[in-house]
Parts: sequence; C-alpha cells; structure tokens
Amino acid sequence: MSTSLRPYLQCVRSSLSAALAISNFASQTSERHNVPEIEAASSPELLLNPLVISRNYDERTFIEPSVNSVRVSLKVKQADEIEHILVHKFARFLTQRADAFLILRRKPVEGYDISFLITNFHTEAMLKHKIVDFVIEFMEEVDKEISEMKLFLNARARFVAESFLTPFD
Amino acid sequence: MSQLNYRTINIDVLDPDSSINFPMDTLLPATLPPPTTSSAAASVASEVRQLLRGGDPEGALRHVLDTAPLGGDDRAKEVHLAAVTEVLQGIRQGEMSRVLEGVCTGDGGAERADCLMKYLYKGMASPVSGAGGAQSPRKSVSPQGTGFSQIQGRNLGEGGGGQQMSVLLSWHEKLVELVGTGSIVRVMTDRRTV
Repeated sequence: MSTSLRPYLQCVRSSLSAALAISNFASQTSERHNVPEIEAASSPELLLNPLVISRNYDERTFIEPSVNSVRVSLKVKQADEIEHILVHKFARFLTQRADAFLILRRKPVEGYDISFLITNFHTEAMLKHKIVDFVIEFMEEVDKEISEMKLFLNARARFVAESFLTPFD
Repeated sequence: MSQLNYRTINIDVLDPDSSINFPMDTLLPATLPPPTTSSAAASVASEVRQLLRGGDPEGALRHVLDTAPLGGDDRAKEVHLAAVTEVLQGIRQGEMSRVLEGVCTGDGGAERADCLMKYLYKGMASPVSGAGGAQSPRKSVSPQGTGFSQIQGRNLGEGGGGQQMSVLLSWHEKLVELVGTGSIVRVMTDRRTV
C-alpha cells in the first residue's frame, strides 16, 4: 500500500465511525413516515456539518452526516480518459445492482463517482464496524480493479492491433 | 398567473411553524466571541508567523487556535485558515506528537483540539491553492487523444495538492490517536464553524 494511502484510509475510517452514530428518527413533516433526513433535507437542524477528506485534488471522500442517516460519496482517481470511462462503467455496473449492496445509493452525489447511503436500519441490522470495513475495503478494491482493467484493456488492444496488422506485414 | 403550477410549490417553506424553517441561530451559544474582521485575522497571522520563526511552534499553534474567528465573516475565516495551514506545514513530522501533546493539554486543551480538528477538515475541504495545486483539474490528457497511454502509471504521480493533504492527514491521524473520535463528532455537531 502506498504511503499516502494509509493515512487517507485511516482518516476515512475514523471519520466514518464517528459519523455512524445514528439513531431512529421519524419524519417531522409527515406523520408515520421515516425517511433518511440527509436525503429529505426537510429540517436543517437535523443535518450535521459535512466532512470532506481528500488525498489530493482528484481523490476525495465526502461524508454528510445527519440524525438518522449518513451519505458517503467517493471520488475515484482518474488519471486519463480511459480511467474516466472505466470508472463510469464500473460505477454504473454497481449502481444497477444497488439492491444487492443494501447501502449503495442508486445515483452518486454530484461531483462524485459513487455514493453510499447508510441509515439507522442498516446499523441496526449490521455491525457498525463491519460497515466501515466494507467501505474502506471498497475504496481499496476499486483502485485495484480500475488499474487491473486498464492493463487488461491495453493488453487486449495491443493484441488486436497486432493480429489486425499481420496480413500487411 | 394562470401559468403557475401550484402543485410544484413547497408549501412547507411558507409555513413559519414548519420544521424546514427551524431558526438555526438558536443553535449557536450566546457566548460566541464578537465578530472579527479579516484585518484582525491578518494581524493574528503575522503574530503567529513571528512565533513560528522564533522557534516556538507549540506557542504558534496554541495562539492560532485560541484566536479562531468563530464569529467572523467568511473572509476572516479564510485568512485564519491560511494561517493555521501555514503553522501546520511549518512543523516537522518528528515534532508533531510533542507539539500536539503540549497544545491539547492544560487549560482549554480540549477546545483547542476540537478547533484543530475543525481546521483539518476545513483545510481538506477547501479547494487546493498555492504550491503544487494551481493546475487545472484535467491536467493529464494522454498524448494520443484516444486515451491510450502506457507511459503514466497509476498512483505514481500525486494529483494536485497531494503534499498539503498528506500533511493534514498525518496531523489528523496523530490528533485522533490523542483525543479519540469524540473530537470528530464535535466537529460535525458544532454549529460554530471556523
């Protein structure tokens, strides 16, 4: 693991475990509703100060805590257009299967690539530190996955070009 | 008038008793320090710079955190953030733990720790400026235009502001070690922003 990645992930881990102190809170605007306040934004006093953790300009985590839900948005590093496309496709693949991930948000927050929405029902049903572990592991994996896909893509492109050009040799 | 679609109006906003119109200023304590201006913040910054140059990093950090413009306008806060960042970058990696322990103990140490935590997050949230971060967001466009490029590897070059962020991140790690995650919770819940 690179030297600057470890403090970044450590910072996300401690911030996320602090932000995940959430409890059940029924909607104040409509009776018998229980919605994530960070999405509804119907009462400003329930939203806490958002935190941004950044490793550099194009690698950031945005944590928006509220009384009963936390929204975590990630910006994955994209060094060139190929990585931009790969990240976009990868995020799209995951968000289309958001049901299977439970905490994944179907649409990322503006300016970020992928978002999670963790509500109090998730923290009640699952272990809190495991949720934090999942997010951290996801952040590690997505980087690895993207660079692997890029290498694979380049190797494939080279092979295709070679076999295409052999008849002209 | 007939063009107005009444279904799209959020009527809660018009109701003074609705929760969306919660009076946010009631969440601020009455003991807020008087508002400061950007010129006051600038004079604090120069004092701090003198302390730092005089070889007293602990005193500089203590002073800059004690004079945080909790009630200031945005300009004053920006100037003060620059001062704090300068102090943090001026302290060497080896000295961090010792300085932090000195700053976060004693009278008002907990407040200073929380204040430092607020500045660490604010520093990371603010768009990168100054050394190394002045380039445009899309700095690395591959030479071919097809996006195919095998020259630059991933995770090799730091993006913009990587240096400044890694300083803030290592301060954050040290501070969490010293005061725990409670400080982060106080950053999120405290309406007195820096």
